[in-house]
Amino acid sequence: MRKTGWTALAVLMLSACAQQNEAESEAEADAAAPAEMETAAKTDEKTDEKNKADGPIHPPLDPYPSTYEPYPGETVLLTGATLLTGAGERIDNGAVLIADGKISAVGSAGDIEAPEGARTINANGKWITPGIIDIHSHLGDYPSPSNASTSDGNEIVSPNTAYVWAEHSVWPQDAGFTRALAGGITSLQVLPGSANLFGGRSAILKNVPSRSVQGMKFPDAPYGLKMACGENPKRVYGERGGPGTRMGNFAGYRSAWIEAAAYKKKWEDYWADYDEWAEDDDDDKGDAPDAPSRDLKLETLAGALSGDITVNMHCYRADEMVQVLDMAKEFGYKVRTFHHAIEAYKIADYLAENDVCAAMWADWWGFKLEAFDTVGENVALVHAQPGGCAIVHSDDALGIQRLNQEAAKAMADGRRIGVEIEPEDAIAWLTYNPAKAMGILDQTGTLETGKMADVVVWNGNPFSVYAKAEKVYIDGALMYDRSDPSRSPRMDFELGLHDNSFTGGAGQ
Amino acid sequence: MIGATKKATPMKMLTAFIAAAAAVSAAASAQTVAIMDGTVHTVSGGVIENGDVIIRDGRITQVGADLSAPAGASVIDASGKVVTPGLFAPVSSIGLVEIGAVDDANDASPARDPVGAFPLGASLNAIDAYNPSSVLIPVNRAAGVTRALMAPSVGPTIFAGRAAVIDLSGRPNSVTRAEAAQYVAMGERGAERNGGTRMGAWAVLREYFDEARSYHANPNDYIRRPHDGRFAISDLKALGPVINGEQPLIVAVNSANDIRATIRLKNTYRLNVIIVGASEGWRVAREIATANIPVITDGLYNLPGEFEDIDATLKNAARLNEAGVKISFTEGAHNVRLIRQHAGNAVAEGLPFDAALAAITLNPATMYGLGDQLGSLEAGKIADVVIWDGDPLEVTTRPEAVFINGRPQDLNNRQKMLMERYRDLERGDLPFAYRGAD
Repeated sequence: MRKTGWTALAVLMLSACAQQNEAESEAEADAAAPAEMETAAKTDEKTDEKNKADGPIHPPLDPYPSTYEPYPGETVLLTGATLLTGAGERIDNGAVLIADGKISAVGSAGDIEAPEGARTINANGKWITPGIIDIHSHLGDYPSPSNASTSDGNEIVSPNTAYVWAEHSVWPQDAGFTRALAGGITSLQVLPGSANLFGGRSAILKNVPSRSVQGMKFPDAPYGLKMACGENPKRVYGERGGPGTRMGNFAGYRSAWIEAAAYKKKWEDYWADYDEWAEDDDDDKGDAPDAPSRDLKLETLAGALSGDITVNMHCYRADEMVQVLDMAKEFGYKVRTFHHAIEAYKIADYLAENDVCAAMWADWWGFKLEAFDTVGENVALVHAQPGGCAIVHSDDALGIQRLNQEAAKAMADGRRIGVEIEPEDAIAWLTYNPAKAMGILDQTGTLETGKMADVVVWNGNPFSVYAKAEKVYIDGALMYDRSDPSRSPRMDFELGLHDNSFTGGAGQ
Repeated sequence: MIGATKKATPMKMLTAFIAAAAAVSAAASAQTVAIMDGTVHTVSGGVIENGDVIIRDGRITQVGADLSAPAGASVIDASGKVVTPGLFAPVSSIGLVEIGAVDDANDASPARDPVGAFPLGASLNAIDAYNPSSVLIPVNRAAGVTRALMAPSVGPTIFAGRAAVIDLSGRPNSVTRAEAAQYVAMGERGAERNGGTRMGAWAVLREYFDEARSYHANPNDYIRRPHDGRFAISDLKALGPVINGEQPLIVAVNSANDIRATIRLKNTYRLNVIIVGASEGWRVAREIATANIPVITDGLYNLPGEFEDIDATLKNAARLNEAGVKISFTEGAHNVRLIRQHAGNAVAEGLPFDAALAAITLNPATMYGLGDQLGSLEAGKIADVVIWDGDPLEVTTRPEAVFINGRPQDLNNRQKMLMERYRDLERGDLPFAYRGAD
């Protein structure tokens, strides 16, 4: 897995130089990632003799690559269930065939044959959905148990900490991952907290326990950048040098984007100069141009400007979201998703026109003034717009276990005001839409042939308070089975705490 | 904002909704209401299919099948609907807080910092800060909550103060019972206020009770003679009904150890104790049942969030109930309406449906000595009644009508008004700020 990742990386480095967003000094590059450099040089035939060995400096896009490998799974035919594909379709009496970790067929029960050696599971009365995806989690960064020792989610030292990466805080032993698994969560985005204007990079994970965070990282998922509007940054920094106002917040964002644009150009100029130099046949052309110095903060911001890193903006108020979209136009970047978009319904048309997703809670409200204008129909009203992209998120180690119920509430409120929402529509709020917003829709988020077999079997309609995930497959491996304790992970922390027994575990 | 909007199609439920609303407004003046042919969950006496509930002058006068609507009654056809007692949130700060993070809109607790900044605890009285016009009240009322314990939250001292049972009519006289309970935070919350150790918390709690006993034995004498100035007279005075066992003391603890310590406290001082929290309650369920202590728990909590929650599980409520403990469910303030989601999830984890419904209706009423007045559909009881459009524990179900003290309630609220203002985003002749004023 690791090797494949690096080869892919090398190809990407050569083909997409203009979109490079990260930089590092030559020495650091050699020390940190010799393998990339070597591979890159081998495949670049144009590079002259002298530079074949190193080539232009490209900071690694993914220096801590995923080492996740799917666990073995059987070839399984789940048949007779109600399928919600995530792509808008409902198939009654449907079947899903899982083979080699992938979804290999989806359709009506009668149309799909079990291959030889496959196990057929009668899923009559069950409902099957794609694995649930939470676009906004702090699992691992604010783990259980929660205390000063484990509180690693908010780098509250400066309004701009774009240089931190959430993955470096993720404690893979967080028991919350196991509980989320029992709620059908197969992938999640772990974001830094919202104290800062620029909080840092997110980590997109598969919800499979591992000894290291690298072992959980979703292969080849793009990074996200966490930003925050409104009350939090100004509250935190108001008496610590600012920003102390919303106008201060915007000045902070804009100054950073100006700096990031200059940084991005510096690197692009360097690569252009290098190419010119490399193609120069003159023997006296001198030394290769020097690469700019790396800056971790600006690398991330430049990546957001170039589109390699998706922008996730915590923003409650409608007027602030509109301002942010103007700012994105000013600097030429894209806001992929507004998170905690409590007032999205006030500008649902504008969000849809700008192709921005809104990630929302079903009914949280009132904990601060910018969260005062919650309506139960928020999700439905965003959904109802042509091109609207509604996501139900948790931001919470308990809520992540019941995103299906949160979506059910939102659906119920929407239907009561006449928004036509069927379960096959609402499931997209938890699957297709977050996958799209996180840049992983080509791999997961729907029940479609060829995708990762991230599949949840529910004991009934998932949009019910009584529904429970019975089986959760991740890449075709049965990672959770409600009826089988041996398929229920327990983190190290949960061993032997009370009377040398197990405590907790998924499904508890 | 900009460009065209796809408008929502007409409400599917419109017809039914208008019918119910019309019936409700007629009932407002009539005082006699007959809710006919619903699935009636009495809570105290089983389920009546095609059941009827007759309300007159604020009380339930009859519950049964095949009743006749009294002459002049407003008749509500509840066929296909489910009728239950109004929901009762057993611990919340509803009525004391508008917006959590806004100081001037939050009276739920005295500021904790700096330590010792505010000396009083037990003597605080929720009704002093009660705001019956709170926007939280119509929002939660529209979701079927008709009563709540309005409890202060703990500030610098372990005692939060005296909680009141209120109804959610929003009327000025909506206090059902003032000083219905006292609240004290022990466990980790108690420890951190008392030297950082549970030893400190229990020692201080016992001191409070001993001083209160001493004070109440002879108040004039206590005041005259030298006494420990750490204990405010008003706090000791307020603890009188607690130490004589009249007023329930809500003790917030989670771990099995802290629960055992609470049982010892109850037995030593002969208190009327209710436990809130109890994330590890199931481990000592039989002991709790034997001590006859009701438990208000978080039905959705299952993480080892702190070292006092190591054994938290979603099966807590079901196991406590099975051991014979009277249970209920807690939610903060803004969303006390979610107690039914707690109850529904507990059912999915093995709690019998009837026990789950009792947990959010009759059990809280009983805990605060109001079990003969509220919490079930029985002749003679106060008419807090909800008509639901489906299973009352299901997250997709909503109330169609709510009665408090026999009066039909307005189900409109700030959230609905905001939604109505923005459901159609087409640019009008006037800005959005003019919408809804007619």
